[in-house]
Amino acid sequence: MTNNVLEELKASIPKELVEEIRLSKAKSNIVEIVIKPENLRKIALHLRNLGFNYFIGIETIDWWKKDNTFELIYMFSSIERNGQLVFVRFKIPRDNPVVDSIHDIFPLAYYQEIENYEFFGVVFRNHGGLRKWILEGNWDGPPPLRKDFDSRKWVLEKYYGGKRYERPI
Amino acid sequence: MGLKTVEIFLGPQHPGAPGNVAFKLTLDGERVVDAEVVPGYLHRGFEKLMEYRWWEVNVVMAPRFCVEDPDNFELAYVLAVENLYGIEVPEKAKYVRTIIAEMSRIQSHLFWLLFMGAAVGARYIPSWAMAAREEILKWYDYITGHRIYHHYLVPGGIRWNIPRDFRERTLKVLKFVNKIVDDIKKALYENKIFIARTRGIGILKPQDAIRLSATGPVLRGSGVRYDVRKVDPYEAYDEVEFNIPVGEYGDTYDRCLVRLKEIYESMNIIRQLLDKVEKLIDDKHYRYKIPLVAPPGEGIGRVESARGEYIVHITSTGGQTPYRIRLRTPSMPHLTTVIKHIVKNEEVTIADFPIIVKSLDPCAPDLDR
Amino acid sequence: MVLGAIILGLKYLFTRPYTRLVPEKERPFKTETTRGKHVLYMDKCTGCTMCQRVCPADAIQMVRVEGDWKRNKKKIFPRIDLHRCTFCAMCVEVCPTGALAMTDITGWELTTEDKEKTIYMPYELSEPEPPYRITVSKNEWLPPPPFYSKKKLIEKTSNK
Ligand code: SF4
Ligand code: SF4
Repeated sequence: MTNNVLEELKASIPKELVEEIRLSKAKSNIVEIVIKPENLRKIALHLRNLGFNYFIGIETIDWWKKDNTFELIYMFSSIERNGQLVFVRFKIPRDNPVVDSIHDIFPLAYYQEIENYEFFGVVFRNHGGLRKWILEGNWDGPPPLRKDFDSRKWVLEKYYGGKRYERPI
Repeated sequence: MGLKTVEIFLGPQHPGAPGNVAFKLTLDGERVVDAEVVPGYLHRGFEKLMEYRWWEVNVVMAPRFCVEDPDNFELAYVLAVENLYGIEVPEKAKYVRTIIAEMSRIQSHLFWLLFMGAAVGARYIPSWAMAAREEILKWYDYITGHRIYHHYLVPGGIRWNIPRDFRERTLKVLKFVNKIVDDIKKALYENKIFIARTRGIGILKPQDAIRLSATGPVLRGSGVRYDVRKVDPYEAYDEVEFNIPVGEYGDTYDRCLVRLKEIYESMNIIRQLLDKVEKLIDDKHYRYKIPLVAPPGEGIGRVESARGEYIVHITSTGGQTPYRIRLRTPSMPHLTTVIKHIVKNEEVTIADFPIIVKSLDPCAPDLDR
Repeated sequence: MVLGAIILGLKYLFTRPYTRLVPEKERPFKTETTRGKHVLYMDKCTGCTMCQRVCPADAIQMVRVEGDWKRNKKKIFPRIDLHRCTFCAMCVEVCPTGALAMTDITGWELTTEDKEKTIYMPYELSEPEPPYRITVSKNEWLPPPPFYSKKKLIEKTSNK
């Protein structure tokens, strides 16, 4: 089942758009497509036409110490192909994290992109509505899920005067 | 937006709002023309908090962002960690975990019935549903030691062995719940008022449901036969037989009916599994202890929670704690794209709005995390 | 079917109430496994701070207790802040000597009007007020379960 999908994807997506199509290391029934960030919209359209029209979500991983990049993972699934998961992943530089928005292809991406914007500071081009959403009104620091932000230290300094969280006896 | 439209704020303490979330509604007379969700009232940063705790200790965090359906959320995290470590759990643990997860689904749907009954003004339903749920919570207290967050499923198996009278206790609870659910079916689902208030409103067509990424009972209520338990079986779901109930028209009533049928299906699954557990009752192998340090790599846990497809994606760089955990929770599409689509395409009045929102069964804490 | 609903409702009108009068008439509901307040066996504790390190809610701090402790040369013992505690029993599970256990003292029995009283010092933890029952203790995890199949695990993880 998964191997069929793998072969089909290999055959139908143009070679120049992808860097690698492979089975996921974690679970062998997931197909991973590694691409260049500028081809994201083309790949998303391809996948939608191939029946992977069920968008699940966007994940950002902050590889701060490793190579100073953000890795973005887009998760797609397909109802008619028995819930086959496809991950599209690519890396963008951490200093200039800009990527194309796909909210006009998949409506849920609009909100997933806002979430990744406010928690990681990834900017989605042509999104039109990037703002604070979940954090609105209660946060004015750096994007909090980045690895260089130490939330423990921040809490200690802000609420506990630099000591461990201990109440006096 | 002409001069006629007004903007009002619904929630988070309004009885019509589904918990800790608010809506910014744009009204044209009585009609709702736009609904924008305002989240953030329960944001606790779970994805970050879990990066600071050990693999096994994170079991305490994993269920805590959804009060109503904690065990499926715990199970997804546990499955992801097992996937990362590459462990297969003992057979007994597999069956017990499936039973616990199904009980959690029943409990969650009963909790939803409470709000649904209150939303349509059927004041007797909340107390009945609560009584049935209370019986399940007592069962949980007996099996796991806690009522709401059980910390019972751990990477490698279950935390402690099940008691000897597991089967009798469970059957007793199921009998009690079954009776009350039968009564609710008669008193609510066959009630003319309920049908009149839910039939034909909040229609979501199957192709729209897929396009808008609706999941769980909302997707199935629209007639799409899709359930992670069937398409990507985890735990013991490939050893039991069950149906996937689907709706016909995709309206509010169908979504309610799908949930009611799912309660019966879950009870059916539990009864099948109890026989298998009974054979293994003397088995002492219920848990593997996992090493403190994880191998580098990735792990994926994918479950069908009571609200829909829930995915945990873990990235590890080989340490005592996770490097990154992504929790893709099921409530987000329902509170954002689906509700927007419904009010844009249909004449929804302000009186119907809480009913439609509640029929989607959103859980605001899992949107915020 | 409205009539049917009314009849059903009447049926429930004459059943016994499901709620209970706690604490006037009855004790709160608890089972043989309910996890509640801790008990600390001070003669067993070695002061290894494992419980402090594992606690997900940071409810445990180590404090110094003077006295003649044979097994505890550093003279440090856990003090538990039940205001923060989630009653997850991770500290009981991780303790190498079985010095911590959990009782079924829970719910309104732990309520207090003074917020400072939620911190329990080692001496207070070692003598809980009766009646209580030990519900979770280290015996839960002594052999046979959980069995460590470390070899198997390492084989599997190295395959990955
Ligand atoms: S209670 Fe147990 S874990 Fe805690 S310091 Fe004492 S011996 Fe160590
Ligand atoms: S039960 Fe859990 S939260 Fe409470 S002190 Fe022990 S480890 Fe900490």
